[in-house]
Amino acid sequence: MSALRIGNGHGGATNGEVAAAPGFERYTFAERIVHWFVAFTFIALMLSGFALGYPRAYFLSGLFGGGQTMRFLHPWFGVGFTLGILWMLVSWSREMRMNAGDRQWVRSMKTYAGSGHSGLDVGKYNAGQKGYYWFSVIFGIVLFASGLPLWYPWLLGSGINQIARFVHHGAFLLMIGGFIIHVYMSTVMFPGTLSAMTTGRVSRAWAAWHHPAWFRVQDRRKAGATR
Amino acid sequence: MSTELGLSIRRKSATPAGATGIRRDTTEVAKVVDIDLCIGCKACEVACKEWNDLPAEETFNFGSYQSHQDLTAATWDLMRFKEVELDDGDIAWLIRKDSCLHCEEPGCLAACPAPGAIVQYTNGIVDFNQEKCIGCQYCVTGCPFDIPRFDQKTKKVYKCTLCVDRVSAGLEPACVKACPTGAIKFGGKHEMIDYSLGKVEKLKGRGFENAMLYDPSGVGGLHMMYVVPRGDRLEDYGLPADPQVPGTFFSALGVLRKLGTISVWGGLLASAIFYLRTGRRRTPSEDEAVAEAERLGRDSAGDGVAKEVPVGATGDGGPNGEGEGMPGVAHPQPQEEER
Repeated sequence: MSALRIGNGHGGATNGEVAAAPGFERYTFAERIVHWFVAFTFIALMLSGFALGYPRAYFLSGLFGGGQTMRFLHPWFGVGFTLGILWMLVSWSREMRMNAGDRQWVRSMKTYAGSGHSGLDVGKYNAGQKGYYWFSVIFGIVLFASGLPLWYPWLLGSGINQIARFVHHGAFLLMIGGFIIHVYMSTVMFPGTLSAMTTGRVSRAWAAWHHPAWFRVQDRRKAGATR
Repeated sequence: MSTELGLSIRRKSATPAGATGIRRDTTEVAKVVDIDLCIGCKACEVACKEWNDLPAEETFNFGSYQSHQDLTAATWDLMRFKEVELDDGDIAWLIRKDSCLHCEEPGCLAACPAPGAIVQYTNGIVDFNQEKCIGCQYCVTGCPFDIPRFDQKTKKVYKCTLCVDRVSAGLEPACVKACPTGAIKFGGKHEMIDYSLGKVEKLKGRGFENAMLYDPSGVGGLHMMYVVPRGDRLEDYGLPADPQVPGTFFSALGVLRKLGTISVWGGLLASAIFYLRTGRRRTPSEDEAVAEAERLGRDSAGDGVAKEVPVGATGDGGPNGEGEGMPGVAHPQPQEEER
């Protein structure tokens, strides 16, 4: 995958140069592709979802070429989003498994929210990131499952349709809540985080401060490589 | 019909502002089908096709007097025929003119997410505006009478307009005009109810003790009613005995929508306030961060489980560089962090 690495701000480092580049690789090219694919489809779904669910937001249908085109596109964005979510499930579920240290992180979440630092020996992902991952996977699947009867309303009859519409709307709102927090934390709250997902790399300081256990492994590996 | 024909609007789909009508209330109109007088000639079907310029569809004999098997996007009016065996062994031939019943509380309109795609005029007629229809077919699931039909080619939904274009010009609907026996009547709603109740009494006198006016309250009443001689056989006529607009569902959805509006704006506002209160959480200098990581590594050496360390020990103000944050202030836990 490293051969496909692009846009890391170092003129397309090759394998041999990676060790010399500052910081560490956090997300591979493939991981960044799936992230931004899911992000793009999510935003498209969110905007068209607002237009479909909230009459006052109906003007957003203009972004999609009008109501009828939007009605056509929304389910297909949903298919794309779901495929992206499944891709994330396959590629990240091992790294996102919760462990004993994560329980401790959850307990110190108040400290984390207050100071922006948990002071714990966090690995590649903290429990909040893992939680958001599982939350997105689960509600992504819920949204797809509840969206199907809305795509083909005659498929399962009006009773199921009404339940589906309610579930779809509820899951949509939860996802938006998660999305707002996710975007806030990764752009406004913690500088240096967004570039992890754009260039794939993070600085040594960022890694050591936010993910110390992961930092030490990367640091030893890199030290070994340059030696 | 795509125009609003100078009629006042009482309800409009997906339009929070609601009705735009300011004129004094027009008379509520209604059509009533006196099933007792109907001979099943299908003149109404033909008149409907003619007036509305609806294309003919190829039909085939499926062992019934019925012309089409079902309503379609281009067949808005259909005579349904059904033979049933009565309790006394007799056979009854049930004939019903099936088309939109123009509910007073239309389930289709409540379900529709496209602003103005479904309107109800103050005279009670419920009309689809295909120009604004997005083809989602929620109306199909919202209708308790299974009336709206989706067209695969135009991706829009169609149904009887109650000839709103004729009615707005002071004419009766085409089916009414064509009916040779006067089985379809048209006029003010109260007038039609008066006629129907009188007719029901006559039918009862003739031995149809279950005769009834079909004007169910579950949908707020109809602007296309039936005088049904065999009121105990509603299901055989294809009429639901107690049709309902899923009111609890729509009000629950409305609550969810309000909740959504409040929480999305509230979430954005909370984020902004949280930012003003706490600012950006800058990473400390590389040396400091690395030292902290190495120390955590020594503390948790071997057991693989992180140990809690006092956060203050590494300098609470550190990550808040440039004074954007408020070091030393005990930050209340913001609500948005709970998830």
